Amino acid sequence: MSLSKEHLLKVYEDMLLIRRFEEEVEVYAKNGTIPGFIHLSIGQEAAQAGVVDVLKDTDYKFPDHRGHGAIVLSSKPEERKRCMSEIFAKATGINGGRGGSMHVHDLSVRNMGFNGIQGSTVVTALGTAFNSVYRKNDDVTVVFMGDGTLGEGTCHESLNMSATWKLPLIYVLINNQYAISTHYTEAHPQKQLSTWGLGYEVPSMTIDGNDIEEVIEVTQQAVDRARRGEGPTLIEMMSYRWQGHFSGDPAAYRPDGELEAWKEKDPLKITKQRLQENHGVSDAEIEAISERVETEIAEYVKFSLESPVPKPEDAVKYVYTDREVEGR
Amino acid sequence: MARTISFSKALNEAMMQEMERDDSVFILGEDVAKMGGDFGITSGIWDRWPDRAFDTALSESAITGLSCGASVCGLRPVAELMFADFITVCYDQLVNNAAKLNYMYQGEASAQMVVRAVTGGGIRCAYHHSQCIEPWLMNIPGLVIVAPATPYEAKGLLVASIRNNNPVVFLEHKHLYNVKGEVPEELYEIPLYEAHVAREGADITIVAAMSMLKFAHKAADEMAAKGVSVEIINPRTIFPLDKETIKKSVAKTGRLVVVQEGPKVMGYGAEIGAMLGEELFEYLKAPIKRVTSLDTPVPFAPGMEDYVLPHYEDVITACNEVMAY
Ligand SMILES: Cc1ncc(C[n+]2csc(CCOP(=O)(O)OP(=O)(O)O)c2C)c(N)n1
Ligand SMILES: [Mg+2]
Repeated sequence: MSLSKEHLLKVYEDMLLIRRFEEEVEVYAKNGTIPGFIHLSIGQEAAQAGVVDVLKDTDYKFPDHRGHGAIVLSSKPEERKRCMSEIFAKATGINGGRGGSMHVHDLSVRNMGFNGIQGSTVVTALGTAFNSVYRKNDDVTVVFMGDGTLGEGTCHESLNMSATWKLPLIYVLINNQYAISTHYTEAHPQKQLSTWGLGYEVPSMTIDGNDIEEVIEVTQQAVDRARRGEGPTLIEMMSYRWQGHFSGDPAAYRPDGELEAWKEKDPLKITKQRLQENHGVSDAEIEAISERVETEIAEYVKFSLESPVPKPEDAVKYVYTDREVEGR
Repeated sequence: MARTISFSKALNEAMMQEMERDDSVFILGEDVAKMGGDFGITSGIWDRWPDRAFDTALSESAITGLSCGASVCGLRPVAELMFADFITVCYDQLVNNAAKLNYMYQGEASAQMVVRAVTGGGIRCAYHHSQCIEPWLMNIPGLVIVAPATPYEAKGLLVASIRNNNPVVFLEHKHLYNVKGEVPEELYEIPLYEAHVAREGADITIVAAMSMLKFAHKAADEMAAKGVSVEIINPRTIFPLDKETIKKSVAKTGRLVVVQEGPKVMGYGAEIGAMLGEELFEYLKAPIKRVTSLDTPVPFAPGMEDYVLPHYEDVITACNEVMAY
């Protein structure tokens, strides 16, 4: 399937927004402004932008730890800067600074946030998918996960239950080759991890996760199936993270030339080429997109830098719904 | 109107009546629907509401994970853990997911779920089906551990737990299932986080939960015959603990005996002891005593299990010791 020119332009801009967002986050993580560890998704923009593009605001989204892109694109445009200020640990952050990079959620758009325990959201997602069946609506749930995370037992339990109960759940498995330093072929016996789903009779496929048109097409089919009550799908999206596992990881475990080969498959580069060659998009149009994104991102960064930090004593809030916890 | 029914029936009634009242309540777990649960606690629910009672695979992580996700959508899952011991295979979902959701969502949504867990020893089922698990959960802010001791509490506390918006681990002691007592027919709540003064007294405070309350009452009678007046506190909610009620009692009696079924190390007795040492030191007339299991796994052979579990005579010994000090 090929997308219309307008559609492709839109998702190109989405991907560029992720790229630039991540690049800025990297700068401020490296210079110490952003505390904690940061998992960047540069190189994986197509998988995130493509999936979110297919979803409605009322669909449940569980981003993973490498999910800034899915998070930002799920947010309302006016809230996007607050995703960045959350990562900057600021009071204006979408979660008041208490979550940070790994826990950016926004229930108003059903971005359910991440759980720092790999594989946890894979079973939590059963619950939101179950809710759609229980309440008889057609909202679907998407859970993002990595190749390494598939090793967690929860993934088996989740696939088994969603398949048995035909839950509207889409597993987006971004196979970026590595779990920290361990290549997926060292952790799993299968050549393609999508074959996992077949054991549970879950429709499963492996696609080029850097080809946004393919991502959108296959995700759309999975979402349609889920909305029709036909149950879950497992989509393995082959991709690559350009950075190390976390910002600052030199990724010395990668063989020479691997990164360069994947940079040839840069989702932004591929999409730009298609826009220009198949849709006659001009350099000036591409430039205009870049400028828009730059303006956006500059605003997020300024906002994040200028925002105040949270009040430390707010740390005792929200432990329970109905009782206070003592402060200092 | 109150009638005499069993602890089991009281639990069943709590779920049935809450499901009648609120269609966001549903049950799930292994064999809870068609069969009505291994202990029969959910019997009749599936017959009445086949769309709101779910038999699952043996997948405790999926059961509790689903409950977390469904809670956030506004549903009120009541999940059953056939044996509390199995909490280890879904510990992550309770500790790192359920307990943190309200904190993470800043009060916008929470894990408004109940995990009913069948707990305790004495049924000759050895170390994987007999444990008291509350210490495994007692330092997880965000969780609530509820532990009824009577049929009246079973119903009222389960109703309150289902309505509560925090994740509740609801401990059902298997030795209490057949205990009978007066239970109102109508719906009622017993507030969480409030300990109950089960008996008033002046000389010794005994804190005892679940099946241990029986020991406390028996000991109170026996000590009364000797002219010693025992006050009994039943925590009802084990975590967060109602410290005030316990402090008020010990400030009056100056003597404390904690009776706890699980091993001695790091049980609720340890927390109560430390808390009183910190906050009520000058009121204590005698050292605090704990009557507990031995620090071993629970063995199978009846003689061995009885040897390990708390002994009634030890409660009397502890009471005599704190009086004699
Ligand atoms: C239960 C658990 N084990 C280990 C970790 C530490 N950890 C965080 S991310 C990660 C690798 C995940 O790899 P993958 O799922 O492929 O995602 P990627 O980082 O490649 O995006 C590990 C081991 C964790 N957070 N949780
Ligand atoms: Mg990976």
